[in-house]
Amino acid sequence: MSDSSSKLTSKWTTILGLGVIALVAAWALAFLGLGQHDHRPALSVLLGCLFWTSLLIGMLMLTMITRVFDAGWAPVIRRNWEFMIGALPVVLLLGVVPLAFLPDFRHLLWEWTDVKHILPSGHEVGHDPILQAKEWFLNEKFFLVRISLYVVFFGVLTWAMRTWSFKQDTDRTASHTHTLHAFSAAGIPLGAVVLTMLAFDCLMALSYHWFSTMYGVWFFALSIRLALAATVILTYRLSNGGWLDGILNQAHRHVLGCLMLAFTVFWAYISFSQYFLIYTANIPEETFWYNLREFDPVTGLKSDWWGVSMYLIFGFFLLPFLALLFYRSKIVPGRLLTIAVIIFIGGIVDLLFNAVPRQILDKTAPEGFTVSPFLCGGLATDLLAIAGFGAIVIGLFLRSATKAETIPVHDPRILESINYHE
Amino acid sequence: MNERNERIFGVACTFRKPADVFHAAEKVRDAGWTRWDVHTPFPIHGMDQAMGLPRSKVPRLTLLGGVTGFITGCLLTWYMNSYDYPLIVGGKPYWSAIYPFPIMYECTILFAAFGTFFGQFILNRLPHHHHPLFELPNFARVSDDTFMVVLEAHDPKFHVDDSRNFLQSLGGQEITVIRD
Repeated sequence: MSDSSSKLTSKWTTILGLGVIALVAAWALAFLGLGQHDHRPALSVLLGCLFWTSLLIGMLMLTMITRVFDAGWAPVIRRNWEFMIGALPVVLLLGVVPLAFLPDFRHLLWEWTDVKHILPSGHEVGHDPILQAKEWFLNEKFFLVRISLYVVFFGVLTWAMRTWSFKQDTDRTASHTHTLHAFSAAGIPLGAVVLTMLAFDCLMALSYHWFSTMYGVWFFALSIRLALAATVILTYRLSNGGWLDGILNQAHRHVLGCLMLAFTVFWAYISFSQYFLIYTANIPEETFWYNLREFDPVTGLKSDWWGVSMYLIFGFFLLPFLALLFYRSKIVPGRLLTIAVIIFIGGIVDLLFNAVPRQILDKTAPEGFTVSPFLCGGLATDLLAIAGFGAIVIGLFLRSATKAETIPVHDPRILESINYHE
Repeated sequence: MNERNERIFGVACTFRKPADVFHAAEKVRDAGWTRWDVHTPFPIHGMDQAMGLPRSKVPRLTLLGGVTGFITGCLLTWYMNSYDYPLIVGGKPYWSAIYPFPIMYECTILFAAFGTFFGQFILNRLPHHHHPLFELPNFARVSDDTFMVVLEAHDPKFHVDDSRNFLQSLGGQEITVIRD
């Protein structure tokens, strides 16, 4: 490992420490919010956790997909995904797990878990016929079992993807590639089911009346977009004074750029399809979810969430889409980095758009509720939690990089990957 | 261009190894040739750069097709549903950007595909039923074990004897003048 690389990895304790401090602060705010029966700071912790969960699930899927397809370009980049995904179970354990297992937080965030919770209609959640019909799935015990299952599943899968790959560095056995190929072939369909359930439980169930069968696919599309954007940012940094210096070439950037373009289109396709079906069918039990994100229930005018949705269409889809159409955007490092940053920021906003707006009981409002706004103190705690979890992920990433070769030197396709050509 | 060159398509020259034809291509490129080609039994990585080929212009035609398709889709749905025969379907507006979006998007893809397909047809000057190189007895071997560089007569640098000598200097094996 070169001097600049070891200088980079030696920072892991500092970065991890900063992350822990930020996360402790976010959790402290969540506990303060608990006293005032304010769900917003707890939601920030959940969002910080889910943002990185999503990104790391994306990296896990990319790791498995490149394994299954024996992608020749992948090994030098995949090793960094393997370093990253080690943080996935940690992120879940520091965020979703305590939020779901501590009853006060669970009742605050997932209102349906609290039978005594009062709805805007004046009834209790426990008497809601819509919830009663879904009770076989949405009940507290099964919910907690599923949350535990996600941690175990992703823990085992990330452990497997890392362990055999790192083993290959020392024992130089090609059969580990076959083992990982088999793990990935099973892991992709299972992972698809588990990430769909995770999206249903952690995000869609925040508004338990609403349902969308596209939701899991949307979560997957967002995950891959975030993973690719983060990969571009990470590899840019690592090729300027890190272990990818002189290794990452134009063809690698081109591949990442093409994938970013493909998944930008895929995300737009899924997000639009979900909106389009609900718009066309025009059924109140589905449309209310989008109405909450378009109108202020008090004034009846467009709310700030409408502005957010326009930003998602034009800033998170159209801008990166048009920019990535051009060949030079995919190969010039600075341009690709800029687009990746745009996607990374847009991904945060998309997650907020999906999770934050909810009905807040307010007897003085004409409809009996208001909607949580976009621009508020909550946005700051969201960013604090995202930064906290992010620093923990990066700290653990750098720590992993001290434990194994930063380039998978004995991967059977390593030469193909290093000499990868467009 | 003199009388003699008009009946000549160009000069072909064979090579035995990929590395030889690769370096020959670099020298032809550096000598400033524009109308010439390399024929190989399999793709050789880096040959584009060795030949100094620019990127294909097909993507521009794809984009042009896509934009045309999107506008066509917009106009089509607006004209039919909002102008020519206004009709309310499912309580939706006569025209908005949402309900006809699948049509706009399908038109975008269809026209982009047309742009790509016909674009490459035009840029490759297809259909092309015959080519003077097919008259060359050993041309079939470039799909087997031979590599070939062909300098074409309509290049401003072309002159039969000079070109032949140039190819010889590059280490070519069999040099043949191709009649048109």
